[in-house]
Amino acid sequence: MQTPFEPRIIGFLCNWCAYAGGDLAGVSRFQYPPNMRAVRVMCSGMVHPSLVLDAFSLGADGVIVMG
Amino acid sequence: MMIFRIGQLAAEIGVHRNTVKNWIKSGKLAAKPTGGKRYLIAEDDLRRFLEETGFPETQIQAFSPVLHHLNPAKRPASSITLKSEASMSHHPIGSVLVVGGGIAGIQASLDLANSGYFVHLVERSAGIGGVMAQLDKTYPTNDCAM
Amino acid sequence: MNITLHTLSEVVAFDGQTGNFNITIKQHPRYVDMDKCIACGACSEKCPKKVPDSFNMGLNSRKAVYIKYGQSIPLKYAIDPQSCIYLTRGKCRACEKFCPTGAINFNDTEKIVNLQVGSVILAPGYKPFDPTGWDFYGFGKIADVVTSLQYERLLSASGPCMGHLVRPSDQREPRKIAWIQCVGSRNTNRCDNGYCSSVCCMYAIKQTLITAEHITGPDLQQTVFYMDMRSPGKEFERYYEGAKAKGIRFLRCRPHSIEPGPDGGGVHMRYVTESGQVMDEDFDMAVLSIGLEPPEGNQRLAEVFGFALDRFGFAETSNLTPVASTRQGVFVTGAFQAPKAIPRSVTQASAAAAAASQALQSVRNSMTREKVYPAETDVRDQAPRIGVFVCSCGLNIAGIIDVKALAAFSKTLPHVVYVENNLFTCSADTQNQIGERVREHGLNRIVIAACTPRTHEALFQDTLQDAGLNGYLLEMANIRNQNSWVHQHQPEKATEKAKDQIRMAVAKVTLAESLKRQSVTVAQQALVIGGGVAGLSSALGLADQGYPTTLVEKNDRLGGNALRILDTAKGEAVGPWLSGLIEQVKRHPRITVLMQARVTHTSGSIGSFTSQIDVAGDTRSIQYGAAILATGAHESVPDEYGYGSDSRILTHLEMDDRLTASPGKIAAADTVAFIQCVGSRDSRRPYCSRLCCTHTMKTAIRLKTLNPDMNVFVLFRDVRTYGKREELYQKARQLGVIFIRYALESKPDVRAAGNGIRIACSDPVLGMPVEITADYLVLASAIVPNDIQDLVELYKCGRNEDGFLAEAHPKLRPVDMSVDGLFICGMGNYPQPVEETLAQSQAAVSRACVVLNQKEMQLDAIKSVVTDKCDGCALCVDVCPYRAIRLVELSPETASSHPYARKVETDPALCKGCGLCAATCPKGGIYVQGFSLDQLHAQVAAALAQHANLYEVVKE
Repeated sequence: MQTPFEPRIIGFLCNWCAYAGGDLAGVSRFQYPPNMRAVRVMCSGMVHPSLVLDAFSLGADGVIVMG
Repeated sequence: MMIFRIGQLAAEIGVHRNTVKNWIKSGKLAAKPTGGKRYLIAEDDLRRFLEETGFPETQIQAFSPVLHHLNPAKRPASSITLKSEASMSHHPIGSVLVVGGGIAGIQASLDLANSGYFVHLVERSAGIGGVMAQLDKTYPTNDCAM
Repeated sequence: MNITLHTLSEVVAFDGQTGNFNITIKQHPRYVDMDKCIACGACSEKCPKKVPDSFNMGLNSRKAVYIKYGQSIPLKYAIDPQSCIYLTRGKCRACEKFCPTGAINFNDTEKIVNLQVGSVILAPGYKPFDPTGWDFYGFGKIADVVTSLQYERLLSASGPCMGHLVRPSDQREPRKIAWIQCVGSRNTNRCDNGYCSSVCCMYAIKQTLITAEHITGPDLQQTVFYMDMRSPGKEFERYYEGAKAKGIRFLRCRPHSIEPGPDGGGVHMRYVTESGQVMDEDFDMAVLSIGLEPPEGNQRLAEVFGFALDRFGFAETSNLTPVASTRQGVFVTGAFQAPKAIPRSVTQASAAAAAASQALQSVRNSMTREKVYPAETDVRDQAPRIGVFVCSCGLNIAGIIDVKALAAFSKTLPHVVYVENNLFTCSADTQNQIGERVREHGLNRIVIAACTPRTHEALFQDTLQDAGLNGYLLEMANIRNQNSWVHQHQPEKATEKAKDQIRMAVAKVTLAESLKRQSVTVAQQALVIGGGVAGLSSALGLADQGYPTTLVEKNDRLGGNALRILDTAKGEAVGPWLSGLIEQVKRHPRITVLMQARVTHTSGSIGSFTSQIDVAGDTRSIQYGAAILATGAHESVPDEYGYGSDSRILTHLEMDDRLTASPGKIAAADTVAFIQCVGSRDSRRPYCSRLCCTHTMKTAIRLKTLNPDMNVFVLFRDVRTYGKREELYQKARQLGVIFIRYALESKPDVRAAGNGIRIACSDPVLGMPVEITADYLVLASAIVPNDIQDLVELYKCGRNEDGFLAEAHPKLRPVDMSVDGLFICGMGNYPQPVEETLAQSQAAVSRACVVLNQKEMQLDAIKSVVTDKCDGCALCVDVCPYRAIRLVELSPETASSHPYARKVETDPALCKGCGLCAATCPKGGIYVQGFSLDQLHAQVAAALAQHANLYEVVKE
């Protein structure tokens, strides 16, 4: 018995666009897989490279920076 | 002029809210209802009333910051002496009526409210937004209208 | 806080005088208690009654209990009494049964509200033209004929087809779409709307471009049938050219009628091309570009408030007082004044705000209130004591996520000392309750697991401040918008995700600090640059609002272009009015006029600028909180059509000068010709100068009035007499002015000869060459911006490619500049006539007053801060998009407190908290408060904590 692969994804979402888009997806009830954990940032430019590396070293299967 | 709620004034001067209500009902306190459970009163009238009702001078003095709190930009007392309704009507009122809750009405309201004027925004339908809310995108930038 | 919204209301009575009006409002019952309604939508879901949804232009249906649209404000349901089954037939009340908060109130009644106000602004908007009954377009009969507003809803993601464009007849994607312009505009035959609606050309272009984003594939064909393409606004011409380049077909012709298409779908059209060929073509769909009509109830509004309407039913205004109605103290704005696009409406709205408040300046701040908070608790030395509030949001969250399990889980997290589950955490009573819990349990950090911080953070920050906590000791876990709503079919995984979200929020808030909002003391004075009409009227406006104002003019004369303008489009004489305006400015006690003056140095930011001004050789320094740039534009000198080689070839302003000096001589001319778009709308200046068509109409009418026998020819590309100016075009044609079109590729040929100016061109209607011999040739030369390179560098403000000053946002902030505290008006922004310049300058005044009214300006606390680790490498200085960081050399005294000789400093007034600096810094020398690297790391670690545990288990 094998459990299907469930990736763990860290998302860095810009407060002004991607995070707002995430909210709008909610308002519009667009369904998507629950595998991403969102970190709200004030700009995708705020995402320090160390945060991305950190995520991978802690076991993330993917990192998505949206802005 | 200042606007207050009964409960607010009662709490500030340390009496029961019904007391304030009774004062207004009996005409002792010359406050006019303005809708939304708020009352309008001339500051001098309130001060005079407090003096006449026998609030100690010290408390009225102490009340000054309260007046300030209720009414941040208090005009100098000398500039107004309000005696009757008739004379009252000659003084400008620091609020503006905006009719229409479309983009123009909203912008006018925001500008006024942000520059020191109280706004009553009257909209015929159940919500504001007007036609702009119905638009998908706007030219020439194709920005979302929302 | 200082706006009371009266929905479902109308004004029924109005009396009093300027500065003090009594208003009576009739408020129709909503049947829903606004305090109780939480907009969960249960009522609407259960309501059995469907009615056409007017928000979607009747394309689909809504229920009798409804909200207008998803983001409606107020977000409270309302019952439509005309369709509610209970209110019309006395039975049902389903909504009442299912409402979780008992908000439905069928006993609600009409209320009368009395108000006292100082002035009135009317912005009732417009009514979209209804083409029902115009049988030749088949609207209402042919399913695939829709109005442009319906089409807008078809395109919209929140519309009836969720943004997947389909045609109404068979719900299939249309591939071939036609737009018909001027439906209900520029038409005196069928509807007496003799005006141009000003917006339809541009929105049709927009719809074609957006459609191309929706539907891909080479077989998409879009055609716009038009009379004149009118794109006379900023960046509009580029937009039009862009659409042509993308293959949108623009056909100058007016299809006579629309017939049903073959097989019951689509439409059939027969039209005549410019070359006279009759064409038969089928389209999948036709869009009628409907015009703007005066709003419903305009007559009543005019009666109640006692002001005049123009002959079309729009509010009557003078071009010299563009937002004042004929009733003193009552101002009009937006499309109700004349058809106009959003930026002009927004501009005019601000202008109306300035005009309406001018008379009330003495009582500014008398009715408004400011909130007072208790003193803040210092939490620096306290161990974190976190309170978690989990919102059920009715069933919005609790219906998917196991909130009880979530609450239990939250209790296990480090530093969490109190957890509570609320039905609605945002409700007023829960807000109070949070305050009590803070006191009871000594909480010093709060996590709200509910909806999105983008809409609710400010509310909860306020709650914390009311409870004596700093507003930044808050973190929200967005378990609704980004969880329960988007994982409706996976409740278990949604609950797991919610746990992670709360863990992340707790991890972040543990590291949160009290942040202080910085404030700037506002210099309550203004600077206006430019002494033309825009500068004069904005200086006067600011001074009348009570703010000392300095007006800087580079020349030795005030008045600018207006000194040479004879009258407005409505015929009001400009000269006497302008002299009056100049006098008022010169005499105003709060205005300092500096002539032959230039700004040479500028420092500071919004609220507190300092500038050096060179006044005819002397330098003086001024301080101000806001500035208005009214730098203007001028008529360009033509370099074609033989200009300069013959004194009979003139520009518009030169013709005006001659008409003033020797009208008799001009009147004696036999023939006068005009050439439009001289230096505009070409590759060198790809913009429309907006003014010239109207100017030509005015001059042509003047000539025809002086001498009705004179031959007047106008050589044009598109006649752009937008709005009510269309009347001038009509009048010119009625007077016998002859209009001949030319194309950019075949410009008229001009040769000066002894007996006159010979102009050769080709008439596209006749298809034959034409030669005109004119006594005078007037060139409608382009308007070009004045040279303001020095100011652009001083203020670091933006210009568009054509050299006109750029606005912060073309739609919503049309007079704000990208640099906070700077505002624009007049032709320095874009060529525009006097009335639009006046509206813009009043708007700039209004926007500047928002800044100047504050004694102190609060800034958001999310700003970058420099740490001791900064060694002054200055990598961040270059990446900062707001130029908020500068490098400073430390003096020996201060250097002792800092380990390095140099460091960077940030200007909190300029910083927007984007954190590019923090991500660039290699050594943690700078970070954004509230989003520190530690906090973000903690969130990442928390997000993966569960996974890490599992990982360890497997390892064992």
